[in-house]
Amino acid sequence: MPRELFQKTAIRGVRKNAERWQATCYAAQKEQSRNYSTLSGLPVKPLYTPVDVEHLDYMRDLGFPGEEPFIRGAHPTMYRGRTWTQRQLAGFGPPEETNKRYKFLLGQGATGINGVFDYPTLRGYDSTDPDARADAGKGGVSIDTIEDMRALFDGIPIDKVSTSLVTCQPICNITVQSMYFANAKARGIPLEALTGTSQNDFLMETAITVAPGVLPPEASFKLSCDGIEYCAKYAPRWNPISFAGYNYRESGCTAVQEVVFTMANAIACAEEMIRRGYDIDSFAPRLSFFFSSHSDFFEEIAKYRAARRLWAKVMKSRFGAKNPRSLILRFHVQTAGVSLTAQQPLNNVARVSYQVLSAVLGGAQSIHADAYDEALCVPTELSSLTALRTQQILQHETRVTHTVDPLGGSYFLESLTFDLEEKMESLLGEIDRVGGIVKATDKGWIHREIADAAYAFQRTVESGEQLIVGVNCFQIEDEVLPIALFDVPETLAIQEAKIVRIKKERDAAGVDKALSDIARACEQGKNLMDVIVDAVPARMTEGEITGVLKRHYGTWNPPLF
Amino acid sequence: MSRKTRILIARLGLDAHWRGSIVVARALRDAGMEVIYLGNQNPETIAKSALEEDVDVVGLSTLSGNHMILAPEVVRLLREKGAGDMTVVLGGTIPPDDIPKLKAEGIAEIFGPGTALAKIIQFVSAKAL
Repeated sequence: MPRELFQKTAIRGVRKNAERWQATCYAAQKEQSRNYSTLSGLPVKPLYTPVDVEHLDYMRDLGFPGEEPFIRGAHPTMYRGRTWTQRQLAGFGPPEETNKRYKFLLGQGATGINGVFDYPTLRGYDSTDPDARADAGKGGVSIDTIEDMRALFDGIPIDKVSTSLVTCQPICNITVQSMYFANAKARGIPLEALTGTSQNDFLMETAITVAPGVLPPEASFKLSCDGIEYCAKYAPRWNPISFAGYNYRESGCTAVQEVVFTMANAIACAEEMIRRGYDIDSFAPRLSFFFSSHSDFFEEIAKYRAARRLWAKVMKSRFGAKNPRSLILRFHVQTAGVSLTAQQPLNNVARVSYQVLSAVLGGAQSIHADAYDEALCVPTELSSLTALRTQQILQHETRVTHTVDPLGGSYFLESLTFDLEEKMESLLGEIDRVGGIVKATDKGWIHREIADAAYAFQRTVESGEQLIVGVNCFQIEDEVLPIALFDVPETLAIQEAKIVRIKKERDAAGVDKALSDIARACEQGKNLMDVIVDAVPARMTEGEITGVLKRHYGTWNPPLF
Repeated sequence: MSRKTRILIARLGLDAHWRGSIVVARALRDAGMEVIYLGNQNPETIAKSALEEDVDVVGLSTLSGNHMILAPEVVRLLREKGAGDMTVVLGGTIPPDDIPKLKAEGIAEIFGPGTALAKIIQFVSAKAL
């Protein structure tokens, strides 16, 4: 029997009065808009009362932080026990340059590293590849061999600082994470001591940041699971995957799609790991999530809370997980890059502040705040410092961290959390019917869903239904840019010189043998990270390894719309 | 009746962002144009396809920062192939300082973040007349 929070007679009284208030008091006034809804299109009422949460059974539906259903928080103490990790994304140019930025941010109080890689590295190309040369060092740091990995983390205590490797695509992760692990071993740090996260999300390769000639979904998914399996065996404190809902959202997903696509992905990974003979509780506590914090303040808070409750449900009902840690959804947040404007860029500081606040009120474990110049360039030292300070001000000055889940119990928030969760469950059922996330990707179903949502949103901006300050209202004519932009340092020449030198110095026979070991492991369907971690010290390039993988698995052209 | 305006849309190099190019492609299609969407391509393939498809306008998209190298390369290749009169436009994250340089290299217009779709549609229709 559910034990509801409110007495039936009290609810009847509220309902009657709410109806009276709506019909007389409220209806006598004018509204500014005809359409009040969340950013993802859920209707929003003028007022929420106990009637909207009358079905709530506190212990069943909300409970306590650190206990099922985890809606009020992943951990009992939340920020009273441990502040979220302040993990500012950084990466550009050659590794030696990014190393300086990491040290700068750590010196300024950042508590984790968040390393982003350039386009060639993410796609598995060497900087010198004819198709990659124009993108070397762009949007992230360039990594070609293990020497670059050594330079990237030179002088950084990777046994103490946790590192997030934004190795979006599995084709990148299988090599780059292997280089990170092999470099740790060479520094005498056992893998058991490493803490951090790899992104390693097959949807990133096949649906979100698509390009012609990527690995087919099944192959990309296999590599992703190889990383999960490797860490389950050797690196128990490493999160081997971070389902990149953030990027799904950036591509155009709604809040509901963002959460559901990550969960469908996680479900597929869990099924595959079980097929490989692992017990759910041996790897599930290390599956981690990555969400966006977009501009709809309450919807985002409700989204994180709904996702936590849904995950606990999924892990229990679908997989029979018993370890309480398997039920806990832990997530990193990045504020929505897509919400930033190139116009009046300092306004972005205000946007990002609200977005970080909603992530904290939603119980994030780790946060990157966007820099104000990200719609224009890679962040400068000043803009990334301001973003870090935005987090520190929230942490130390606002006192929002003093109690756990401070908005829990809000009639509106709890009601919205339930509405979102209901929509999420129904979309998850739809993906089940399509045949799961890998099939849904192969068929182009995911691509279509996202493109439709992106276009629908843009039309609301175009019509003026969605206002964006500085873009379709409050514009400044002939605005003079008030900030200095970042110039990416010279990269290609430096990386090219390194590759040429390394190819001369290295033991060619050793490289050939290591590459044929990888090819053989492909043939035999073995775990490739097992082989690649041992192979990369021979200093083969990322592109050489990718070449082996693409020859074996073939390539796939995602559907274009 | 005159033929539909034809535009080719491609993303430059290894840039990973498809949202802008897809949204613009759909808006142009909904405005009655014939859109050929290539996804990521190198300049050589873009120029070759533009000629084969006999388009009025080539729309390039990039947010990665590769625009100063690859966008002018598309213009150069089109000129080399005798299609120097084809209009080439560019959308994406383009720092303001680069805009005059790109225009000097033959890019007809640059559409930065936040550009209204209506403005792009209007520009492309006018070029195709």
